[in-house]
Amino acid sequence: MLSAIRKEFLENRHQLLVVSEDYKVLSSDNTIFNINDGSDITDFHPFFFTVTTLFDEEEASRHFFCVQIDHLGRTRYVDIRTKKDVLEKKIYLFLEDMTEHYKNVHQIKQVRNESIIQFNIVQELNNQLEVQRGFKNKFLANVSHEIRTPLNSIQGFINVLKMSNISKEQLDLVNIIEDSSETLVTILDDLLDISKIEAGRLEIKNRRFDFKSFINVLSKTYALRAEEKRLEFTCELGENIPRFLVGDRLRINQVLINLLENALRYTHKGSIRMNISTDSRNLRRLPITFEIIDTGIGIAPENMDKIFESFTQLEKRGLFGGSGLGLSIVKQLTDLMDSDLEVKSIEGEGSSFMFTITLGVSHDQRSKTQEQVAPLVSLPAEKTKGKKRILYGEDIEVNQLLMTKFFAEHGGYSLDIAKNGEWVIEYLERYPYDLLLLDLTMPVMDGFDAATAIRNHSNKKIQKIPIIALSARTTEEEKMEAKEVGINAYLTKPINQALMFETIERLLNRYKKKN
Amino acid sequence: MSVSKKIVLLGHFGVGKSSLLRRFVENTFSENYTVTIGVHIMKKEIMAEGNNITLIIWDVEGTDDFTKYRPSYLLGASSFIYVFDASRAVTYSDLKYNLGHLKEKYSNVPVHVIGNKVDLVDQDQLIKDLEQQEIEHSYLSSAKTGENVERLFQNVAAQLLKNA
Ligand SMILES: Nc1nc2c(ncn2[C@@H]2O[C@H](COP(=O)(O)OP(=O)(O)OP(=O)(O)O)[C@@H](O)[C@H]2O)c(=O)[nH]1
Ligand SMILES: [Mg+2]
Repeated sequence: MLSAIRKEFLENRHQLLVVSEDYKVLSSDNTIFNINDGSDITDFHPFFFTVTTLFDEEEASRHFFCVQIDHLGRTRYVDIRTKKDVLEKKIYLFLEDMTEHYKNVHQIKQVRNESIIQFNIVQELNNQLEVQRGFKNKFLANVSHEIRTPLNSIQGFINVLKMSNISKEQLDLVNIIEDSSETLVTILDDLLDISKIEAGRLEIKNRRFDFKSFINVLSKTYALRAEEKRLEFTCELGENIPRFLVGDRLRINQVLINLLENALRYTHKGSIRMNISTDSRNLRRLPITFEIIDTGIGIAPENMDKIFESFTQLEKRGLFGGSGLGLSIVKQLTDLMDSDLEVKSIEGEGSSFMFTITLGVSHDQRSKTQEQVAPLVSLPAEKTKGKKRILYGEDIEVNQLLMTKFFAEHGGYSLDIAKNGEWVIEYLERYPYDLLLLDLTMPVMDGFDAATAIRNHSNKKIQKIPIIALSARTTEEEKMEAKEVGINAYLTKPINQALMFETIERLLNRYKKKN
Repeated sequence: MSVSKKIVLLGHFGVGKSSLLRRFVENTFSENYTVTIGVHIMKKEIMAEGNNITLIIWDVEGTDDFTKYRPSYLLGASSFIYVFDASRAVTYSDLKYNLGHLKEKYSNVPVHVIGNKVDLVDQDQLIKDLEQQEIEHSYLSSAKTGENVERLFQNVAAQLLKNA
């Protein structure tokens, strides 16, 4: 009775086959597949070529899982167990139909594999983008370096020229050159900013600042600029906005300047208005709305989307250059500050740009005068005591000349120049110096190697000398690297004279305090 | 009766093992991906070096870890064809490790390394990339366009006859 039921359960799922070593079917119970006695088993399915292999090896039995067998238009998955009879030269094959089980397995693996492959493809695309971006950013950094170096000397000599005995007329001309070269510097900075934003490397840094005086300076500057073009300029700053706010002054400045410049460029008569207001009475966080309205040429509706095109998009369409990158930066910066930039414009009548940024309200609304009146260029005690000695490592002659001029004007320090890293070390070992100015790209031994050598020097005094790096590259990587080799401050070329002396003084004071 | 030889297709899933086999045996291709589970076996008789040879090709379920292959599947193989997907670096980044495993366990079975789906990539870039990773390959193929498919199986067969 039981054996009959067992038979019924097993019947259609198991099959026993006996095969000779030359693939002849000796017997088969044909429960799953119909295979004739005496036929060649490899004609039924190529799996059975494996019979030969079984005779060649030592194992007496084998288990083959999940062999796909297509027969009479149906796909079955069978597990096959084999047992060999060496004496009789026969193989017993036990087939078990596991189709139902393996179909479930198949469904699971199908979903799993597809999602993993999809993920791989996304990863692959990301990698490609990364490579392209990396390339672009490196390219930008290099170009900016190439341009900055000559620009550095141009700006330096403009300063020199202004300080020499030139007529009023000549001075006017020099001022024009200065304006243009400053514009160039701005473009370079913008380029770098854009590449940083796109690489996700530009961070918003929120700090306390004097919002009222910041807006005042800005509006005075643009009132003058507007007057030059015979335009009216007004600025309205909401009474209810506190003086000290917390936000990224630098970036807000950049956005406003770009919008104001844009308004100036495209307005030929009428006025430019800047309105800054808030409706909120929140004591901690204020949404402040900035609005810049002009009576300029306006924007045609079909060009509305194009004005914010990113660097990448411009690049793609081969449109880079010409209109400038200003508005694209504005868009990206306002995005970074979680703000939407709204543009309204009527062609021939004017445009308005509006955005709202939430700024923090500083707890402390008193101005800290001491902080603000930090002396820029002055040498209190040192002047009387005899001059501090500064060494400058630099290979390029115009830069050496320029620096000599700067120091001559300043008068507070004495300056020596070494033409490469090796000479820097040589000088340091020979004479006592108080501070080192170091160009990072020099022949023979560059600034990084020189700084490393100095920080590992056996002489304690040399080892601790304050070092300021001067570089025309402005990549974050280089700044990091400079920090790693023990450089204390990093200044970008073109060198800002005031900032340089300020930095020198700061480092000297810090050094004095320490020792 | 002609000689028959067992060849096993190995590699990560989705690299195109089944597609290469289908292109070779049936001269067809499908964009749809149907996962192979366990093993699917096909045969094809060809002429190589003036001899008839029957290739019994085992298309085994893909995996990224070759130590997980069931020994019964690889048993008695005369050749391995190791397929990777030229458009997905993950499918060849561990190639050396997997080759090492094969070398250790099946030292006298020759391995042919095939980069498939070349229709999807920039070949120059791929070759540079492979050189950089010191990956040697026998053929770059495409089951989709048929590029190098016939040739790679012919090459495998010719080598089998030479070794026999
Ligand atoms: N463009 C392109 N697609 C291919 C090529 N070869 C295979 N494919 C596609 O890649 C996917 C996977 O192909 P399969 O041949 O099933 O891959 P497999 O290696 O057998 O995968 P598993 O059976 O899971 O191990 C399918 O969608 C195919 O259409 C090729 O040469 N070019
Ligand atoms: Mg497959």
